[in-house]
Amino acid sequence: MITDTLPSPDLTIDTSGRFCPFPIVEAAKAVRTMGEGSVLLVIATDPGIALDMPMWCQATRHEHLATLREGSTFRSYVRKRGR
Amino acid sequence: MRARAIALLSGGLDSTLALALVKGQGIEVKAINFYTGFCITETQRRKGGRADGSIPRNEALRAAADLDVDVECVDISGSGYLDMLVHPKYGYGANANPCVDCRVFMMSRAREIMEREGAQFVFTGEVLGQRPKSQRRDTLRIIERDSGLDGRLLRPLSARLLAPTVPEREGLVDRQRLESISGRSRQRQLELARELGLTDWPQPAGGCCYLTDESFARKFFDILDAREASSGERRLEQDDVVLLSTGRHFRLSPRVKLTVGRTEAENALLEHYAVGRARLEAKGVPGPVGLVEGEGEATWEERQSAARIVARYGKGRDRSEVVVTWREGEMVEEYVVAPEQDEALLEALRI
Repeated sequence: MITDTLPSPDLTIDTSGRFCPFPIVEAAKAVRTMGEGSVLLVIATDPGIALDMPMWCQATRHEHLATLREGSTFRSYVRKRGR
Repeated sequence: MRARAIALLSGGLDSTLALALVKGQGIEVKAINFYTGFCITETQRRKGGRADGSIPRNEALRAAADLDVDVECVDISGSGYLDMLVHPKYGYGANANPCVDCRVFMMSRAREIMEREGAQFVFTGEVLGQRPKSQRRDTLRIIERDSGLDGRLLRPLSARLLAPTVPEREGLVDRQRLESISGRSRQRQLELARELGLTDWPQPAGGCCYLTDESFARKFFDILDAREASSGERRLEQDDVVLLSTGRHFRLSPRVKLTVGRTEAENALLEHYAVGRARLEAKGVPGPVGLVEGEGEATWEERQSAARIVARYGKGRDRSEVVVTWREGEMVEEYVVAPEQDEALLEALRI
C-alpha cells in the first residue's frame, strides 16, 4: 500500500463537498499556518484536485507527495516547502 | 531591490503571455486568480466534468506551474461582488456582464494585494480594443482610475499604445520590451507564444463567464425582476451563483419559480439547496429533482403545475399519472398528476 510509505500528516483538512478552487484555497490557508517540512493532508471530493494539487505545488514549490483516490474521496498529501 | 508585481492570471493565452513578458524582465511576480463563482469551467467541474468524462484543469494553476510563478486563488464571490453585479455603475454589456465594474472590483482587490505584498504594480493580459466594452481606451482608463491603481496598472500586451505607467517611467519595466497589440486578431499573440516558448494554453471557447451568456442572463434578470416585484429590492443571493447555472428554469407565476435538474450531477447539486425551498421528486419512477422557490406559499395551481413539469422530465413521462412528492420542511404531500405534455406551455414558462 502506498499509504504505508506516506508520512503521518501534521494537519488534516476536509474540503468534502466543496469544489474548485476551494480545496486549493483551503490548502493554501492551512499551509501558511504550518512549519517548514510539515505534512498537510487535504481530503476532497472534487475530482479536479488530482489535477490541481500537483500544479499548485509546482507553482508554489511545496512538495506534492501523493493524491490517492478512495471511492469518491481524494486524499492529497503535501509537504510544506514553499518559496 | 528587485521589482515585485501582481499578475492577474486566468491561464488563457493573453494573461499567460503578459506573465511571461514581465517575468522575463527579471521582475518577481505573484499571480492572482480570482474566483467569482461565474466561471463556466469551474461549473463544468462542479457538475462532474465534460461529456466525455474528462475533468477540465484549472488553467491558472497550470500556467503558474509552467512559468514557475507563485499563485494564489482569491475568492471574491461574496456579497460585495453580488451587489456590484446588481447595481453596476457602468451598466451591462450585451447580457448580464457588467465587465467594467467587474474589472474595477478585481483591480481594487489586486491593489490591496499589491500593497500587502509590497509590490510596485499590477498587470493584466488585457488587450486594447479586444473587447467592445471593457477594453476600449476610455474604459481601460476608468478601470485604472476607479480601482485606485492610477499609473500602477500595466497592460504589457498593449503597453506601447498606452501612456507610460509608473513602473515604466521609473525604469522597473523596460517599455521597449513590451508589446503594442490591439484588436481581436490573435496573430501577434500566437507569434509571441512561439517566441517565448509557450506551447500549452487553452483554446478560446467562446467566453468563460456565465454572465456573458444569453440564456444565463435571462435567468439572472428574471430573478432580480421577481424579487423587486415582490419585495421592492433587486438583490442576488449566494445560492443564486450555483442555482442560476443549474437545471431547467420555469417561471410558474410572478412569485414562484421551478428549477429541474437535467442530469444526475445537477440533481445532486440541487439537493444541497433544498433547505428553505420545496423539493419535488416523482415517486416510484426515476426522475429529476425539482426545487420550488418564491415569496410566500405556492398556490394549489402552482404546486400542480410544478409537479406536472417534474413528472414530464422523468421516466414516467409517458404514463397517464405519476405521483410526485412535495417536501417542504417537515411537510410532505403527494400529488397525483398527468405529466405535462403541452410543449407550447413549457416553452412559455421556460426562462
